[in-house]
Amino acid sequence: MRKKKGLLHELSKNRILFLMLLPTLLYFLINNYFPMIGIYYAFVQFDFHSSNLFQMDFVGLKNFEFLWKSGKLLELTLNTIGYNIAFIVLVNFLSISVAVLLSEIKGKWFKKITQSVLFLPYFVSFVILSVIVFNLFNYDQGVLNTVLERLGAEPVDLYSKPTAWIFLIIIFFLWKNFGYSMVIYLATITGISDEYYEAAKIDGANIFQRAWYITVPMLKNTFVILLLFALGGILKGQFDLFYQMVGNNGLLFSTTDILDTYVYRSLRVTFDMGMATAAGVYQSIFGFVLIMVVNTIIKKINKEYALF
Amino acid sequence: MAGIQKKAWALVLSLVLALSLLAACSGNGGNNEASPSPSASPADGQSSEGTTGIDTSKRVELQLYMLGNAPKDMPKVEAQINEWLLEDLNATVKFNYTTWTDWDQKYKLLLSTGQDVDLIYTAEWTQYQQYAKNGAFLALDELLPKAAPALQSFVPQEMWEAVKIDGSIYTVPSTYKEYVTGGFVWREDLRAKYNLPKPVDMDTFEAYLAGIKANEPDMQPVAVGAAVDATLEDALLDFYRQNVGALPYGLLAPYKDPSNMVNYWGSAEHLEDLKRFKSWADNGYFSKNELNETESNQDKIINGKAAALFSDNPTRFNSMLNQMKTLHPDWELGYHPFGLTNGYATPVHPIHNGFAIPKNSKKAERALAFYEKLVTDKRYNQLASYGFEGTNYTVENGYYKPVGDNTTNGFVREASNSWAWRNPSFMIFEESYDGIQAIFDELDKIQVPDIYTGFAEDYTTYQAERAALEQVMKQYLFPLMAGQVDDVEGGLQTFMEKANQAGLEKIQESYKQQWLNYLQEKGIQ
Amino acid sequence: MKIKEDSSTKWFRLLAYTVVLAGSILCLLPFLLIISASLTSNEAIIREGYNIIPSDFSFDAYKLIFLIPDDVIRAYGVTIFVTVVGTLLGLLLMTMAGYVLQRKDFKYRNFFSFFIYFTTLFGGGLVPYYMLITNYLNFENSMSALIWPSLMTPFLIILMRSFINSAVPDEVVESAKIDGANDFVIYYRIVMPLAVPGLATVGLFLALHYWNDWFHSALFINDAAKYQLQFYLYNIINTTNFLNSIGAGAGVVLSGPVPSESMKMAMAVVVTGPILFLYPFIQRYFVKGLTIGAVKG
Repeated sequence: MRKKKGLLHELSKNRILFLMLLPTLLYFLINNYFPMIGIYYAFVQFDFHSSNLFQMDFVGLKNFEFLWKSGKLLELTLNTIGYNIAFIVLVNFLSISVAVLLSEIKGKWFKKITQSVLFLPYFVSFVILSVIVFNLFNYDQGVLNTVLERLGAEPVDLYSKPTAWIFLIIIFFLWKNFGYSMVIYLATITGISDEYYEAAKIDGANIFQRAWYITVPMLKNTFVILLLFALGGILKGQFDLFYQMVGNNGLLFSTTDILDTYVYRSLRVTFDMGMATAAGVYQSIFGFVLIMVVNTIIKKINKEYALF
Repeated sequence: MAGIQKKAWALVLSLVLALSLLAACSGNGGNNEASPSPSASPADGQSSEGTTGIDTSKRVELQLYMLGNAPKDMPKVEAQINEWLLEDLNATVKFNYTTWTDWDQKYKLLLSTGQDVDLIYTAEWTQYQQYAKNGAFLALDELLPKAAPALQSFVPQEMWEAVKIDGSIYTVPSTYKEYVTGGFVWREDLRAKYNLPKPVDMDTFEAYLAGIKANEPDMQPVAVGAAVDATLEDALLDFYRQNVGALPYGLLAPYKDPSNMVNYWGSAEHLEDLKRFKSWADNGYFSKNELNETESNQDKIINGKAAALFSDNPTRFNSMLNQMKTLHPDWELGYHPFGLTNGYATPVHPIHNGFAIPKNSKKAERALAFYEKLVTDKRYNQLASYGFEGTNYTVENGYYKPVGDNTTNGFVREASNSWAWRNPSFMIFEESYDGIQAIFDELDKIQVPDIYTGFAEDYTTYQAERAALEQVMKQYLFPLMAGQVDDVEGGLQTFMEKANQAGLEKIQESYKQQWLNYLQEKGIQ
Repeated sequence: MKIKEDSSTKWFRLLAYTVVLAGSILCLLPFLLIISASLTSNEAIIREGYNIIPSDFSFDAYKLIFLIPDDVIRAYGVTIFVTVVGTLLGLLLMTMAGYVLQRKDFKYRNFFSFFIYFTTLFGGGLVPYYMLITNYLNFENSMSALIWPSLMTPFLIILMRSFINSAVPDEVVESAKIDGANDFVIYYRIVMPLAVPGLATVGLFLALHYWNDWFHSALFINDAAKYQLQFYLYNIINTTNFLNSIGAGAGVVLSGPVPSESMKMAMAVVVTGPILFLYPFIQRYFVKGLTIGAVKG
């Protein structure tokens, strides 16, 4: 009873705020919540004969079977999580460091140009990346081997060395993506008031101390946002990076196969969307549980930082 | 915790709200597309026009979907066709092209989400058999005599029989006869220069490769590319083991004795073949990194980087030859169809090119009537295949001659991907086609029917195993084929273990059963 | 005291310059490879691979692209239109949402934040989404199909929320309220000017997203006149990929120009070129002193 009154009261008190939020809510309702009905595809046998999704035969968990049939589910899950953790940690470390360093550089032109250059790789699409990577590392004419030969060293065949690709994939991920989060951190640093720095200077803090005790803590909030969004998709994502770099080279699968690439490769020849949906459901539930836990922990530590 | 619970409930509530809203919407959407209920439209036609002809009183716009990229001048061609079509059938048609970007995804979506599609291209490589079996297309048996009697008699009866899936016709086959069978491709000028044998079997082919390797160290003797399954295993099985077709799941059934289907994977023959590929890789006949290759095999031949292809079809050979000649007039390409060595060749199966009407089409009659025009009416057919005479091409001495070149001509020959509506009596060819025709004529002497393509596999009972196997194949078998595993025997053993774990035996058993039933049903041997 | 600070500052700056310079070079190298390849003759690429300096200099690839420039120019038009309209509209909606969601006196802000965030976790997959756009919203073959799907993302909304939260002290909003300004006026007059760096960042990301989009052209557009620029690049590459993957048995021979290796790279340059200038333009909004965050301390 009390709650209902609360809602109505809130509605009338903040009606302008509600109106401002309304378009966004409607957008997500239509664009994202409606299509969620399609999750039901994961539990039926797709069939052209029945035009209605809910008339198709319910098959329980049959569509999920292919995930564990190959005995790879655990390996794939661990691979995916492992890569994502490495991505999250390294990208944030790198982009925070560079953003802090950049913010202290005074040369106007140098700063402007390097800042743009560091952001450049983000513009390279993955299909182009795959061509570049192949031309850097292929055995016969790759740039790497050409250089090695000129130096009198033995050429290396990277495409048959699975462990090397763990590092290559991480390096190219960083190369391509750290600029994006760096811009976010730079913008956050811009928002920090000069007064903090002035006060610290008077207290005798040197530039390292100021960066460590003022700038870095002020980035915490931004970091938490990036973290929570990354964690929610911990079983998804980066399909293009992995698929374009590795392609169908089975030699590298043991270290580079993630859930998304597995699903793509196994279902390329099937038109039944049930299994693809099933894989998505698995990823979603995993991310959902993880997020609920992490958000609750963050809330316990500092309410301000929690996402919801 | 209580907070989360509250939130969860609120979420469920909003979801329910969303669902009910959607239900309301879908009611609306239903009105747009499905409300002229499925049974109503054919009945309408019958009542107004009786048994002959179709009702054309209401103007309709037909949606035709073709794969690939639309030629630049397609809108002009479409406008002209629509002018005629309005007069003939009171209809207009839109030629939609899927482009090659995610075309398979788009094909799937068009058919499974009930889009407004009236005609769509079909082939064995777009999985016509599976879609037809699963009910994606409309059965044409009753519609044909009514809406397209001329088309029905134009296509020979045995072709109609051949495209039948579970007893019904779901696609209109193309009547153009061609061969897409394999054959060795090599650089004839280099072969003559170094006095190498002409590749006609595995031994001479390998001798040629060895000769190139020895004399042209900068060249790659044979181009393989990332699709090693097609360029190596399928080619070898086709040529050397005379497989009935590119059978899936490591099955082998000799053309001459198709009911004798055996497991090729893991067999002594398989090991022998893998060792052969390994020796090619070790001898440097192809690159260490074929699995990641991004350049096309054909490009490598045209630009002189590679000196042979294990297998390509006559048409592609001819187009490679022509492109190469424009860049390097003094180079020569040789071709030897496998059929000449094996003593038999199969012309394309009628399923190879066709157009189907999706189950959801509301304009099926008009669509079929239009397709009849497209195939049997010379005006429609030639315009939609070659563009405007005078603007896009001219005919000289009976040969097709393009105006300008690839980059300036907005509609070069068959740029509309008119493969399916080719009508042999209206076709005009470039002079260079004579080369293909010569090959076809030779193959005609030894032709036998394709007995594999008509088979429609039903994989619903083993779809999970099939998906898992797909990955196992790429992970363990592809590197073996590309010669990248040092211990071939051990590698094959690992592959077989993983494949069996994924359910290979179950798949093979069911497939064999279906295959035998099919042979029996069709009365083959 | 003062001297000590100077020397540490010097060291810090040295470190900064070294790291940033090294990083920049690493980021630049692959670009040189792309540009060089686009200026190399196709035959040289196929025979010798890529080089930092073109081994056989040739403008052919660019000539080929701009021989009949209307396609590329029209695609520029589409992409620019979609990017501008989508970014402006998206920014308007997302700033409003971000502002409301950070208002501490807005009781359900956490619930609504969750409502938005939840959509990043669960989705119905491609099939229902395709049906939504084509069968229910009827956006197929229109600019709406390109603008609508990327209009807002939960990430950018939450990011906006956080930017506004740190840029606009609660006290400012409260005092404005006491002065009798309504919530929209506060948003429009006070919050927006203060949140300029945030606006610039989110706007930049959204614009990039629109500029780089090709997928929605592939799915929803049948009319070549409405293809986005990036789609041309993808389609060139996918056409060659298709030809590579299709076996001889399919018997597919495409007439019409088959794109070459150097043309792919030239297209990549043509497609990315203009958007590179957006970031330097946005940079001027990343200047300290635009905010008055001081009140908060």
